[in-house]
Amino acid sequence: MSGMPLLEVEDLHVTFNTASGPVHAVDGVSFTMAPGASLGVVGESGSGKSVTARALLRLFAITDDARISGSVHFDGADLLRIDERRLRHVRGGQIGMIFQDPLTSLNPLMTVGEQIAESLRLHRGMGRSEAASEAVELLGRVGIADPERRATELPNSFSGGMRQRVMISLAIACRPRLLIADEPTTALDVTVQAEILLLLDELRRSEDMALMLITHDFGVVAATCEDVQVMYAGKLVEKASMAHLFDRANHPYTEGLLRLVPRFEDAHAGRLHPIPGQPPITGGGGSSCAFAPRCAHAFDRCRDEVPPEVAVGPQHLSACWLAAERAKDGTEAGRPWKRAQ
Amino acid sequence: MSETAVAGATLEAGSADAAASPRGVLEVNDVVVQFDTDGGRITAVDGVSMHLATGETLGLVGESGCGKSTLARAIMQLVPMQQGSVRLEDTDLGTLSRRELRRMRHRIQMVFQDPRGSLDPRMSVSSLIGEPLRVHGIGDRAGRARSVAEAMELVGLPEAVADRLPSELSGGQQQRVGIARSIVTAPAVLVCDEPVSALDVSIQAQIINVLDELRDELDLAMLFIAHDLSVVRHLSDRVAVMYLGQIVETGTASEVFTEPRHPYTQGLITSVPRADAESAARLQTARRLVLGELPSLLDPPSGCRYRTRCPYATDECAATEPPPEAVDHAGGLHWVRCHHWRGIAAGSAPQPSSNSQEQAP
Repeated sequence: MSGMPLLEVEDLHVTFNTASGPVHAVDGVSFTMAPGASLGVVGESGSGKSVTARALLRLFAITDDARISGSVHFDGADLLRIDERRLRHVRGGQIGMIFQDPLTSLNPLMTVGEQIAESLRLHRGMGRSEAASEAVELLGRVGIADPERRATELPNSFSGGMRQRVMISLAIACRPRLLIADEPTTALDVTVQAEILLLLDELRRSEDMALMLITHDFGVVAATCEDVQVMYAGKLVEKASMAHLFDRANHPYTEGLLRLVPRFEDAHAGRLHPIPGQPPITGGGGSSCAFAPRCAHAFDRCRDEVPPEVAVGPQHLSACWLAAERAKDGTEAGRPWKRAQ
Repeated sequence: MSETAVAGATLEAGSADAAASPRGVLEVNDVVVQFDTDGGRITAVDGVSMHLATGETLGLVGESGCGKSTLARAIMQLVPMQQGSVRLEDTDLGTLSRRELRRMRHRIQMVFQDPRGSLDPRMSVSSLIGEPLRVHGIGDRAGRARSVAEAMELVGLPEAVADRLPSELSGGQQQRVGIARSIVTAPAVLVCDEPVSALDVSIQAQIINVLDELRDELDLAMLFIAHDLSVVRHLSDRVAVMYLGQIVETGTASEVFTEPRHPYTQGLITSVPRADAESAARLQTARRLVLGELPSLLDPPSGCRYRTRCPYATDECAATEPPPEAVDHAGGLHWVRCHHWRGIAAGSAPQPSSNSQEQAP
């Protein structure tokens, strides 16, 4: 954890102008990642986790009408301020990305070998034949059997899991310092998911590459990431090490997410506990705790003021008024909602 | 494929006391479904038997392509079967004329994965839910309106949405409409094919609770197909594991999930990422239990279907198909199709074979 961070995001805001008014998809997010770190970002759809990742690389269409502010320092440069030409070099170069559906990001008319080679020529200035053989080498490294033959095939001749491996080989082709994986295994079978998660973990270690993994599944984070942050309505509501969070979730939203899904190890344990209500469709930007309307422990202050991030343990932050008040009293900060029940 | 289907030759997802005794609202017996593809003929469902009792949920799990959805469609008589029978409340659906079948349909209904795709976008919520009643000519206008209101209440749809169009509903509400449509005819059996996998996590929990409550309240027999093992475990009384068209293990959910006997079942269960400190180590174990990729149905392995991915496979597995065997202590409900399950359970199985290649760098 010593030395310069690889990525330093400060007060990131993303606002979309939509027909029905502005949506504050990302509302003042700050975090850092060290070289080689692994960070899971968890939240429901619409929490702002994918938009945060896309904002780092300004991956928005003109039609999105997105306004981005704040700063994203990566390897010394502010990605929000460098020109488009330099940014293109960072995308797919120093920062690789993979998505849930690899088919949408692969060219269906080009063999996978050609696609990887193209990226190598563009980002690493390789010649044609060098790039072609490096592409085969990369396909082998992500666990694709008979890579020489497979390199000559089109994406649609690969199964879902193999396609995701192709995407990963493309993403790591230029030896990125950071790999952003947005729900990379959500569409895959559980056995294939296991393979892909292990592959990501092994590549992170062998390539000394940082990994940011966006998911709704704490199990996926536990398998691949040392740190985790939970997003709600465009804000980070809790940050911790994953090992710390297992039994010390502090924010009521995190606890809600953990209790939401049936845990495999629990046999039928009665009804599930959905979090009542829905996330605000306008994102954040309010003057209260955005989770208060859905929170069983909300009190007056939650509805009047935005809660600050307070330390509730070693490298453990929670943006919750219950935690904040307890910290001020000098009483134990952990699991405030336990007492409130 | 069992052309000479002796009693018990197919692995039956259900009780062991064979033949005769009446065993439930739905009886699926030795069903075979084949398709002709560009590459040749494939057997998507290969001699599957199962039964379902009133108020009971049977979970069906397996990787995509294992035949679970095809089996559901065969049970619904939506795809032709090459062999076998489906009996619903003692009527053999395969022997019915189109017309008679249509009349039986209200007793067996299906919930689909994509709620939006199965709802006519121009129809209001109440007419969508009432449609099955009109199609089947059940009740008069007032009676149908009452049934629709009841179904809406059962699935937790507020009265206020009755006149809305599907596009005006959230994903969770759309799936509630899908479920209301399928229960409004008071079916005996509900077949759910991945009913929550297209939904956001917070909505999933709501829909799972709805299904859970309906099963209890309406005494439904439910066939629940999902690839999410945690969800299946949460909802199911019994479970059947499918691989390449066959059921390879079946038993009560607690037996199969706590003491899986088939290496494939063990691999599936170990692959589920859990939010605990052993998460990564468990996935390493999973990788040793499920090797490589699913073989093509065009060229299924000889003998045991699973042997090409199994770390315990021996020559015997390639030579002969393992017959279903009862796992002794479990009161006859737990069956497995593996030559080596006793040895694996006792830790004395042949060592994982040399084809356990490392997949990753």
